[in-house]
Amino acid sequence: MSYCVNCGVELDGTAEMCPLCRTPVYNPARPVDRDGSTPFPTERGEVALDSRWEVAVLISAMLGSAALCCGLLNLFFLLTSQPWSLYVIGAAAMLWVFIVPPLLWRKLPLPAATLLDGAAVGLYVLLIAWELDGLDWYLHLALPATILLAAILLAQVLLFQKRRLSILSTMAVVIASVAVFVAGLELLGDLYFHGGWEPSWSLVVLIVAGALEIPLMVVRRVPKLRKEARRRFHI
Amino acid sequence: MPREQDWYRLDNAGVLYSALKKEKYAPVYRFSAVMMEPVDPEALQQAVDRTMPRFPSFRVRIRKGAFWCYFEPNPKPGPFVRPDISNPCQPIRDRADNDWLIRFYYYESRISFEAFHAVSDGSGALAFFRAVLAEYLRERGIDIPPDPLLPDVAQPPGPEELEDAYGRYAGKRALRKRLQKTAYANTSAPEPFYTLNVTMGLMSVAALKAKAKEYGATITEYLTAVLLLSLLEKQRAERPFREKPIALAIPVNLRAWFPSGTLRNFMLTLRPCVDPTLGEYTLEDLIRYVHHFMGLSLNRAEMRAVVTGNVKFTRNKLLKIIPLFLKKPIMAFSYWLVAVRPFTATFTNPGAVRLPDSMQPHIRRMEVILGQATRPSPHCAAISCGDVMEVTFAGTGTSSETERRFFTHLVREGIPVKVISNRSQQEVR
Repeated sequence: MSYCVNCGVELDGTAEMCPLCRTPVYNPARPVDRDGSTPFPTERGEVALDSRWEVAVLISAMLGSAALCCGLLNLFFLLTSQPWSLYVIGAAAMLWVFIVPPLLWRKLPLPAATLLDGAAVGLYVLLIAWELDGLDWYLHLALPATILLAAILLAQVLLFQKRRLSILSTMAVVIASVAVFVAGLELLGDLYFHGGWEPSWSLVVLIVAGALEIPLMVVRRVPKLRKEARRRFHI
Repeated sequence: MPREQDWYRLDNAGVLYSALKKEKYAPVYRFSAVMMEPVDPEALQQAVDRTMPRFPSFRVRIRKGAFWCYFEPNPKPGPFVRPDISNPCQPIRDRADNDWLIRFYYYESRISFEAFHAVSDGSGALAFFRAVLAEYLRERGIDIPPDPLLPDVAQPPGPEELEDAYGRYAGKRALRKRLQKTAYANTSAPEPFYTLNVTMGLMSVAALKAKAKEYGATITEYLTAVLLLSLLEKQRAERPFREKPIALAIPVNLRAWFPSGTLRNFMLTLRPCVDPTLGEYTLEDLIRYVHHFMGLSLNRAEMRAVVTGNVKFTRNKLLKIIPLFLKKPIMAFSYWLVAVRPFTATFTNPGAVRLPDSMQPHIRRMEVILGQATRPSPHCAAISCGDVMEVTFAGTGTSSETERRFFTHLVREGIPVKVISNRSQQEVR
């Protein structure tokens, strides 16, 4: 039998290291038994994942029936000059894209899901614009705003997937994203309504964001402050 | 034979545990018996098949109702015995394993039984497992005469085995405890899903008893104090800005105070807690504290009032009418608030497993594993059979510092410990 020179516990004959302190076993009088059976099996196993087909079918049926009922009501009973049911049908289709593909396709990459969701929102707004005869505001305001939002979310997803960020860095990224979106939104609005950039309310958001970003970045950069923040907030 | 019930309400603990069940987590525990001979899988399957009809509370599947989850008899084939895996106590997933909430494994001479905690507590599970082991030995041609510890698998189950003992003993006066302080969490970097690091320490019951006696304590009190000391030292070594209390969750089998033959959940959790900001604690201090704490806490009236409070919570009229999909996050949050946040670790000791004399020579030792916690910190469990005491640390965190401190304390106290772990295989092979 071998004992851990560090912990003093007896080890199994097949153990190549102490499981408590990871000190390798070196016992010339009794080498590690590499052919013997280990105290625990080495094969890993995993319980099969639950099929989500039933839930996907249920959600599809719910959304589909809501869209169908509204369409039929609009066609035969609640006739109006504007086909109001299109909004409901479009919303149901958008929700379906949000919920069902990630349910059925577990390995759907998050960036792809984000792009898919962005496209669904863009198409739904297009439907509204088409119905209201507003392709002009769609092309110059709604579509760029949707693309901007999707791009910011995509950048965040890629960043968070690539690197495990600290809480401080995560907060900094989220605040910066909000500031960029707000500034971009005002820029697009100004270009559409006034033909030029006249920053006003977004400046307030940018200043507040900057005031929050600077201390976060300072704490992030200075190891002593970072350590102090960790201790203070127990993170 | 009486007609089998169509469905069962979950007991008080089952309601909480079912609320926690999700794709990546379920409270699951494991009992194992290491036999003297290698396991014969066919005989084990026969034993399981013969035993299952006698225990309807284990022959169930969980279903979602509009307001609560419930159990119903599982008509599907199984449970089937299968070769063991290196990552035990995996989550119970919907529609997996033919909906069974229990599992059987075998490896070399070890027979393992895993159960979803909503089905039963350790005491009920051990009674069931003991019956399976007896049938297994009989299948192997060993004479196991009838014994009061072994229910006759040919007879129908007693009605008391299925009772909700919490409901039976809930009184009128409820003890409403204030929110406890947040305890030291003892977490480390999580392992990739799904890895459960298991480290077992094997030691002599006689040596442990003699050492505990030196301090005037029981084995449970002694081990609890050693664990508290290990956690105190570990937190201090991490040099936090402000030290948090060290609190253990110690499940207590209520059957000893409130007679019940139930095989479902019937336990309560005690919370011995020490505040490191008050100064240094010696092992003697901690043993004395645990000894008196246990003595004060284990009184019938107080335990009944706590049970009543828990039962009243799940019978709350407002909670009752909340749909299940909304209720699950509420219950999960309540569990985190009152059963995760205020505790550093769980330490459970089902004690010495009582086996009929005819079975004892065929079982080398018993083992117990508490499955993954809701966070990457280790849980501790102990069980003894004959002269072998087995203490397990199991968790999904990478650190083995808690178990190292615990076992080296015992070694320094003069108790020889043999350590086995699935870490050795995972990291080297």
